[in-house]
Amino acid sequence: MNTAGPGVATRARRFMRMGLRTRLTVAFALGALVLSVILATVTYGLVRENLVRQREASATRQAFLNARVLRDSLRGASASEQSLLDTLQTPAGASPVLFRAGQWFAANPIEQGREQLPVRLRELVASGKAARMRFNLKGTTELAIGVPIPSIDGAYFEIASFSDVQRTLTSLALSLLAAAIVTTIAGAALGATASRRVLRPLSHVSAAAVAIAGGRLDTRVARVTDPELGTLIDSFNDMAGALQERIERDARFASDVSHELRSPLTTLTASVGILDARRDELPERARAALDLLSADVQRFSSMVEDLLEISRFDAGAAHLHLETARISELVVQAVAASGNRGVPITVSAEAAASTVAVDKRRLVAVVSNLLSNAERHGGGATTVDVELGDGGTVRIAVEDAGAGVAPEDKERVFERFARGADAAGRRGTGEGVGLGLALVREHVNLHGGRTWVEDRRDGAPGARFVLELPLVAVGPDSAGDEVDLGPAAISATELATELAAEAAAEQAELGETLE
Amino acid sequence: MATRILTVEDDERIRTAVRMALEDEGWTVIEAESGEEAVDAFAGQPADVVLIDLMLPGMDGFELCRSLRRTSDVPIVMVTARTDTHDVVAGLEAGADDYVTKPFQPKELSARIRALLRRARPAESGRAHVRFGELEVVPDEGVVRRNGTEIHLTKTEFRLLCELASAPGRVFSREQLLERVWGYDYFGDGRLVDVHVRRLRTKIETDAANPRHVVTVRGLGYKIQT
Repeated sequence: MNTAGPGVATRARRFMRMGLRTRLTVAFALGALVLSVILATVTYGLVRENLVRQREASATRQAFLNARVLRDSLRGASASEQSLLDTLQTPAGASPVLFRAGQWFAANPIEQGREQLPVRLRELVASGKAARMRFNLKGTTELAIGVPIPSIDGAYFEIASFSDVQRTLTSLALSLLAAAIVTTIAGAALGATASRRVLRPLSHVSAAAVAIAGGRLDTRVARVTDPELGTLIDSFNDMAGALQERIERDARFASDVSHELRSPLTTLTASVGILDARRDELPERARAALDLLSADVQRFSSMVEDLLEISRFDAGAAHLHLETARISELVVQAVAASGNRGVPITVSAEAAASTVAVDKRRLVAVVSNLLSNAERHGGGATTVDVELGDGGTVRIAVEDAGAGVAPEDKERVFERFARGADAAGRRGTGEGVGLGLALVREHVNLHGGRTWVEDRRDGAPGARFVLELPLVAVGPDSAGDEVDLGPAAISATELATELAAEAAAEQAELGETLE
Repeated sequence: MATRILTVEDDERIRTAVRMALEDEGWTVIEAESGEEAVDAFAGQPADVVLIDLMLPGMDGFELCRSLRRTSDVPIVMVTARTDTHDVVAGLEAGADDYVTKPFQPKELSARIRALLRRARPAESGRAHVRFGELEVVPDEGVVRRNGTEIHLTKTEFRLLCELASAPGRVFSREQLLERVWGYDYFGDGRLVDVHVRRLRTKIETDAANPRHVVTVRGLGYKIQT
């Protein structure tokens, strides 16, 4: 059973989960900590050794000196041992003890005495040898030195304290600890700075990757002088280049295929036209076959057109040719251009005079796609209406009388090659090319607009496809922007009046002819 | 004499199909496989309309267009494979009057050609001649004079100028001009108008970059400044 293993592994995993910067910072801090602890320990040890040895040497010297003074004093006069002990020069914290003729004398009788001296030291001294011994007294280290004085039949002992050495060592330890903490913090700071420097090119790489993912395929990272990071950046740039080339090649391929298909399609279309001009001369079955051929050549053409169009979006080669025009006029023209003149168009009063900046070709394509979508899946468009939306927008909606779009399909219908038919056959005849609505969305997005599908407003079954475009304000205030033009510029008020008059006329005309 | 149409197209099948479709309209079709062949054919016997595929081997459609324009104001329709690129504008600037995009309906092509042929005929009489600045437009004679000197315009350029000059000071939208000059009954390509206006300016304006006669009304269209 290994219980430590998983714990270590988990901790290692947790460490690896931290960011590289955190890890580098932690590693630098740990390194600094370990180094400073080792240095502090060695320093402390050496200093301690040195101080203790000095203290022992000086204490020993002092003890021998004192023993000699005692011997000389006691050998001569009959001085009192106790008073002699009291007059001895001893370093701070040291206690002299005298043993003579089986009697113990101490300078401080309460604290010091025979009992406190280690037995082994007493035995050594009793056998006539000077000795020195460290021992523990009430939790502190003390040094005892014993010197036999045979001439007076006694021995002199001195107990020296290490407390001042201890104090010095404690303050040294505190200083070393403080230094270790400072070093560790400095290590962490260094790690953070170094990792930031190291990771800066990586953040550039990351920003470039985001830009590439966002479609700016020509984004590259600036080179750096560092050889290792330089390799990374070179590889990244190479990858980006290869990716760009590949994406462009794919987009170009779709575009090339569509172009190549145009030539045979031209022959097909022209030939079908020639046959169609002679349809009266054809037997009935040939005529039926011609109708099939003609319809599918038409379908094929629009598929190629759609493919080409969408490949332009994919290649990022779709550009707007904006023209400013009144939305009502545009919609009427777009509906007419897509060959659906019969569809009623309703333009709300506020929307009638509003102006949009659009690429007309794209708007025609959008309206025409929505109408043919209604044709294919919804039994034909029932109405096209134009009204103002929220926040300076205008909405063009195409309604049909089909079965509507199921809630779960409301986004999916705008996907490429999304077929309308579901199991219940709510929509679809299987004829859908599948690019129409995807293109509608692309075109409208390019204009900064939105597209969606909802249920019919009147509650009848059917779908309502809506596109929303940003408005270009035209009024006395902003008209100045709309007029450019040199010596011939007409005044802003003139323009506004003209627009209003035309809009009114337009509306009257719409009411008369389109309902 | 039957209307003659010179068709320049390197793809034999397309050429044949187009020839048959145009012959159905009652026109005589002369075929050319390359730009060089077309130049020779045109020099031999000028056509009433020239149909040029822009992508030709050797001398390309643009070059052929410019080459024909040097000696003739024959109406030119170019056939392009792409609508989005600069091909259309470049073709129009090379001197083409109109364009169709592959694949085109034969009916669409004949409609474009008929519109060009109408333009090539003298303008309907009765239009008053107009004078603005040093320019004088005489629709009846089909001429424009600057300080009495005749300026050479193609039929389309002339027709465009006549439309604009029919109501000096009035703004014509691109759609109106497309309808009246090119015969488009709905959305045509606004670039047709823009490029022709540009061509017109280089011929009639003293400084085409700062036009004084044919001016742009941004967002609305063009007008003649008197």
